[in-house]
Amino acid sequence: MEHLFTNIAQILTSWMVSLGLPPIWADLILLIGQWTIIVVIVTLNVIVLVWLERKISGFIQERLGPNRLGPFGAFQTIADAMKLLTKEDIIPSQADRWIFMTAPMLFIVIAVMLYAVLPLGQGMEVVDLNVGLFYFISLGSLSTICLLMAGWGSNNKWSLLGAMRSVAQMISYEIPLAFSLLGVVMLAGSLNLSEIVTAQNRYWFILLQPVAFLTYFIAATAELNRGPFDMPEAEQELTAGAYTEYTGMRWALFFLAEYTNLVAVSALAATLFFGGGQGPWLPSWLWIIIKTYLIMLVFMWMKWTFPRIRMDHLMSFSWKVLIPVSLANILITGLGIEFFRGMGW
Amino acid sequence: MIGKGLLKGLGITLKHGVEKPKTIQYPEQRPYLQERFRGCLEFDYKNCIVCGMCTKACPNNVLSFETAPIEGSKKKRLVSYTIDLQYCMFCNLCVEACPTNTLFFVHDFELSTYRRDEIKKVYIPPALTQVDAGGGQAELIPQDALEPDREAEAEAKRLKQLQAMKTALSKGGQKVLAKYVDTEEDAAVLANLLQADEKKRDKMAALIVDDKEKARKVAQAFVAKERKTQAGGEEK
Amino acid sequence: MSLMIINDLVFVLIASITLLSALGMVLSRNIVHSALALILTFIGVAALFFNLGAAFLGLVQILVYAGAISVLIIFAIMLVMHGEAHKTNRFNPSLGTHLWGGYIAAVMTIGLVAAIWFSELPEVKGRTVEDAVGLLAGLLLGNYVIAFEAAAVLLLLAVVGAIILARGVEEQ
Repeated sequence: MEHLFTNIAQILTSWMVSLGLPPIWADLILLIGQWTIIVVIVTLNVIVLVWLERKISGFIQERLGPNRLGPFGAFQTIADAMKLLTKEDIIPSQADRWIFMTAPMLFIVIAVMLYAVLPLGQGMEVVDLNVGLFYFISLGSLSTICLLMAGWGSNNKWSLLGAMRSVAQMISYEIPLAFSLLGVVMLAGSLNLSEIVTAQNRYWFILLQPVAFLTYFIAATAELNRGPFDMPEAEQELTAGAYTEYTGMRWALFFLAEYTNLVAVSALAATLFFGGGQGPWLPSWLWIIIKTYLIMLVFMWMKWTFPRIRMDHLMSFSWKVLIPVSLANILITGLGIEFFRGMGW
Repeated sequence: MIGKGLLKGLGITLKHGVEKPKTIQYPEQRPYLQERFRGCLEFDYKNCIVCGMCTKACPNNVLSFETAPIEGSKKKRLVSYTIDLQYCMFCNLCVEACPTNTLFFVHDFELSTYRRDEIKKVYIPPALTQVDAGGGQAELIPQDALEPDREAEAEAKRLKQLQAMKTALSKGGQKVLAKYVDTEEDAAVLANLLQADEKKRDKMAALIVDDKEKARKVAQAFVAKERKTQAGGEEK
Repeated sequence: MSLMIINDLVFVLIASITLLSALGMVLSRNIVHSALALILTFIGVAALFFNLGAAFLGLVQILVYAGAISVLIIFAIMLVMHGEAHKTNRFNPSLGTHLWGGYIAAVMTIGLVAAIWFSELPEVKGRTVEDAVGLLAGLLLGNYVIAFEAAAVLLLLAVVGAIILARGVEEQ
């Protein structure tokens, strides 16, 4: 079971080589195949996630959530997706047409590209990039621009306000996000995600870096624009922020990308702090799925518990609390590493 | 301690998250309604004394009624009483104003209708139609109010005929059946067949009462089939 | 088709996208479009770094340049958006400015080409750096730490100065 998918990949490669294909082409075809499968799984998973989110919000508010369509309302999201697919695609006449149209596509492309480096099990990353973690952070920074494009392109004051908020928020929280990951990198001595997983053979980094995990978790919530940090959307004040003018499939793409980002960030947390695919009895790819889902449950739990905080509080929290704390964490981690090295461990 | 409140909040939502939902799955589960719940406004013509207090009390002109004088009396009698529920705000003022408890709320709260005029409820006392049928004051009677009675009468008449036909057929009834077949011989065959088979008898009786033309065809078919089976039996 | 040809094709593709978007940035009359074209240019440059095997530098390019452009767009929106969008990035009408710009551009281009033409570039073959990040970190935080820190202090001063300029100082 452990090597199920890697074995399948090997068998496929050797089969293609035996057909007379040069190995490099076989690798390329396999890469494209892996990539397609990941994209399909990630997008289909969103259907489950939306259902889960609605169920959890229902339970927290002592409701049942969707329960009409299918067992426990499981087909509700499929019906919603069908509805969104068939809706009219409205582009406002005063919108900046090209920017308006490309923003959701870029957003989902960036969200899906994050999965290229995530090890979804032992030896199960699409690209084993030796700067994988850095790749994750720098690609994540690009999604700010997509929101800004959406806000600007809509030519709507609410959209632009939402986009401005999201830029301010995401740029501010990128810094503690990156800093909190530095502690892990220092301990593992690598930016390669699978090497970071291997470095957690003895202890999971959540035990050695609890402060880093907390700052990462908070900053990631802000980066995802999720509640309680969902000011950029803020339905009650900005109607829906940058998404106000979007309809049908374009809007659904934003939705898809947000949940895709949620999965990516949770999977990264599982990889960096909870030992990735490490765990007893079960195969590694199953472990990482379980861990990712547990972290996502906490994200959802938080979203439906805390009220939205104020914009200035948000900014001052990032600059006055999270960044100093994460900097102090780097300092202490460095001192600790030197100390234990000096002790000869 | 920083974050204590956040943890407390998470604890509260967790607690509520595992509790049983408080919602009612409405069309399947019915809500518990208090005794004084104000659902649909109903009217009971038996108690009405046509005082008009209800229309005066109503702030939205929901209620209206028509009256006619009773000959040889100062009193009026009710011709029709209308509750236009689309304007009703269930304020209870009419119920309080009514001296004889003619108006009251019931627990039925599913008031939506497909058409706007369907929500208007018109009550016509049945006594009125009877009196008018005899008295000849036809202009006061809404035509559609009378029709259900006529239908019922026709239905009763038909049932009576059917019953008579059934008894006639079970005792033979060659004369009746002779109208539907060509010869006396055929009528005898059919009568015997129908006396033996209760299902066919009932069917025949119903057809004779409702549709004479069809009855003729079916009767002839029955005879032909019976002749054929008889012939087949003799051959064997 | 050998690997080299694929590599060349990829290079031509990336380079043409980069050049076209750079041109678009200069020629666009809408300042927001210009900024977005600039992002595309930076991403193209990052892709060139990837193509050369310098993944870390490419990612730095994306994070520092492309990621920060959004702030530039915000400034553009806040500072110059007063009217219609397609007039925000106007060409300067005076002929003298055109000439000066053309002159400077020509001198720089000729200088760059000459520099590349006359310098002897050592041929590097089959040598890949295993731990490029580690080497870079060693150089930045070891050999050149003073320059690195000086740059950091300079940037910090710039940030503080910008805040003071933007918000003003309360007079005692």
